[in-house]
Amino acid sequence: MIEAYLMHILILICIYIVLAVSLDLAVGFTGLLNMGHVAFFGIGAYTSALLVLSGVPFWVGLLAGAVLAGFAGFLLSLPTSKIRGDYLALATMGFAFIIESFMKNWVSLTRGPLGLPGIPRPSFFGFVISSQFGYLVFAFIVMLICALLIIKIEKSPFGRLLEAVRDDETAARTLGENVYKTKAIGLTVSAFFAGVAGSLYAHYISFIDPTTFSLLEVILLLSIIIVGGLGSSKGAIAGTIILLILPEPLRFLGFPSSIVGPARQMIYALILLLIIYFSPKGCFGRVQLGES
Amino acid sequence: MMSKYPKTLLELRRVSKHFGGVKAVNNCSFYVKQGLITGLIGPNGAGKTTAFNLIAGLLKPDKGRISFLKQDITGRSAHVITRMGLARTFQHVRLFDNLSIEENLLVAVDHPGEKFFNCFFHSRKSGSYHKKIKGVLALVGLKKPLSTLAADLSYGQKRLLELARALMMDYKLLMLDEPTAGVNPLIRKRLKALLRKLREQGKTILLIEHDMDFVMSLSDEVIVLDAGRKLLADKPSKARKDKRVLEAYLGK
Amino acid sequence: MSIIVQLLLNGIIAGSIYALIASGFSLIYSVAKFMHFAHGAVVTVSAFFLFFLVALLKLPFWLGFILTVVFAALLGLLMNLVVYKPLRNRKATNAVLLIASLALFIFFQSLMIALFGADIKTVRSGTISTGISFLGGIITELQIIIVLVSLALLVLLWLFMKRTRLGKAMRAVADNKEVAQTVGINPEKIYNLTFIIGSAIAGIAAVLIALEQNIEPNMGFSLIIKGFTGSIIGGISSVPGAVLGSYLLGLVENLGIWYLPSGYKDAIAFFLLFIFLLISPKGILGLKKGVGTK
Repeated sequence: MIEAYLMHILILICIYIVLAVSLDLAVGFTGLLNMGHVAFFGIGAYTSALLVLSGVPFWVGLLAGAVLAGFAGFLLSLPTSKIRGDYLALATMGFAFIIESFMKNWVSLTRGPLGLPGIPRPSFFGFVISSQFGYLVFAFIVMLICALLIIKIEKSPFGRLLEAVRDDETAARTLGENVYKTKAIGLTVSAFFAGVAGSLYAHYISFIDPTTFSLLEVILLLSIIIVGGLGSSKGAIAGTIILLILPEPLRFLGFPSSIVGPARQMIYALILLLIIYFSPKGCFGRVQLGES
Repeated sequence: MMSKYPKTLLELRRVSKHFGGVKAVNNCSFYVKQGLITGLIGPNGAGKTTAFNLIAGLLKPDKGRISFLKQDITGRSAHVITRMGLARTFQHVRLFDNLSIEENLLVAVDHPGEKFFNCFFHSRKSGSYHKKIKGVLALVGLKKPLSTLAADLSYGQKRLLELARALMMDYKLLMLDEPTAGVNPLIRKRLKALLRKLREQGKTILLIEHDMDFVMSLSDEVIVLDAGRKLLADKPSKARKDKRVLEAYLGK
Repeated sequence: MSIIVQLLLNGIIAGSIYALIASGFSLIYSVAKFMHFAHGAVVTVSAFFLFFLVALLKLPFWLGFILTVVFAALLGLLMNLVVYKPLRNRKATNAVLLIASLALFIFFQSLMIALFGADIKTVRSGTISTGISFLGGIITELQIIIVLVSLALLVLLWLFMKRTRLGKAMRAVADNKEVAQTVGINPEKIYNLTFIIGSAIAGIAAVLIALEQNIEPNMGFSLIIKGFTGSIIGGISSVPGAVLGSYLLGLVENLGIWYLPSGYKDAIAFFLLFIFLLISPKGILGLKKGVGTK
């Protein structure tokens, strides 16, 4: 039993690492305070799940989920390119909520609040990843590929461009950079990988509904990258591990499950507040949140 | 757009820009001749920095037209105008604080790795640009290690870095917004020598300055703005004696 | 025909509630210059406090009402003193304050779930009123009270801001904090006062909503979004604008669900929020530039 529990946590850590590193690409590297990352997560999950449930091969579902999520990121970047700071945070939150609303209300497509049950495990050439350990290996490999790709982007001249846009958009424009295009690419790539994470999640948990992708997740994701430190993939990974493991002892302290859920959220909220105040750079952060 | 003066690099024609009720630039016209150092002076609030921002494409004029290199650039985006050959510095230094000196300078060049699909094949090292970086830093006299973060530099050093960054570019017109503000006399002297050297190389320079000695001794021509319009454009020796200029600075 | 009247009435009632929330939020934004998202949590916690006093402790309603409003004011003040002020002292940007506010919101919402459970609570006593007929639509006495109380409070708030010395001091700080300081106004005291007043109004809103609808832990989220949206539509730093925007939102929302499935009701607010943030951050009456400059 213990192994099953440990593997479950590890699989979730892999999935959330992809989410965190991709979010840090947008927030820590490009300087886009995107509070709607969970929408891309959801789009990836729903797209992949719906396609595979209707008979499409898994890898097509995964790719389609990621591409659609990336496209959503691109769409979001268009109207928000001129908005900054807290207004951008609000607009992206609004976007996430509108997506969540579609998930809840477009019942003919998503089955609304009933959710999608029975999402199958991935299968390659007839071989199904049915064991939990198998899925852990699979998730780990996908996580590794995604993280390495994102880190490569961050360590490239394009990554330097993202950082320049983050540090001073106006200066970047006067150096000949099309910052709107840069920001659009940053957000699109960030969303793409969140879509991958969504697919990974849907095919593991096998059931998704709109509440999985609510704005509560925003606090968790934000806490992860701030605790880990902005502008650092290493930090995003560290933050994921810390924050996913930290509230787990609550399960074993004998609290009823109706308390464990909200207590988790309270812990995340408190950690976020404490880090913002005491150590805004988090563990490995290179950039402080909202530098003026 | 036909210009009256064949050697004109930049021309503003009846440009106006207002913010709320305030007319920052009001029916302003002037031109900058190629190969000269032109000073843009005037009391505070005369519209000098606004004019810079309009030229650079960071602001769009409400009225009037701007031409650069004989092309109408009115309303074009800042990055497009920059790529035509415009480099500028800012009144309040704008650096990439979380990037090193080297990286700040590298953003100014067109590295092939900056295109997203190429980025997987390039690293952030300076590579073939290393020589140019060293050259430009020697030119402005910034002696800190290349890996120093921009945020860790002193104010004077930041100004030098911003200038160096502008010099990394392939520019036809260099616009400097108060390059000597808050800078010690030694650096001021070095800047003067540097600008003279650039003029010898055929570069065109437009600078906003409050240091009268600096701008008058350096400029070939001086444009005086007041309340958003051009008062006069002439040689420094003439401008300095003009009664209207004195009135503008001292108030009527 | 009467459907439209009913929808309009519903819109005005909804707008009244949103206006109460938006006015407090907008007041705080105009003075403290950041988005106090946790304002929604003040409403939620106050509603639960009322429930605790009236349904669990069985206190008389009028007492519960007064205590709840005081509680709300203190809660808002506490948030300012314990969280926002220390962050302000560290020169936090308003994006950071928004995130801190979000964290506060989640914290209190989850606390309510942990303490009271996620199910719905009511403080209604007696039978449900059948309502009075008005111009072809139906409106209950409580709903009439809500509209009247809202309007009265908003007028009082407006008079306070325009006529009293404290109100003028608040506007001075909202306009230009540094200059206000030079004439002897203490900004920190003004911030405290702003939070007290704004949160007290939220407390009154909480009581009215608790009576009219139900109490549940998620109520604050929907309300603060509507409050935000109302504020943005009317101009985020203009309290009268926030009121106007809220009524507009109430009407659009209720007329909107004539065409759309009712599940999209909240999305309408977010959609309007999105639109107004993009095309006109200044809103209809606001003067402050919405787009951040750097």
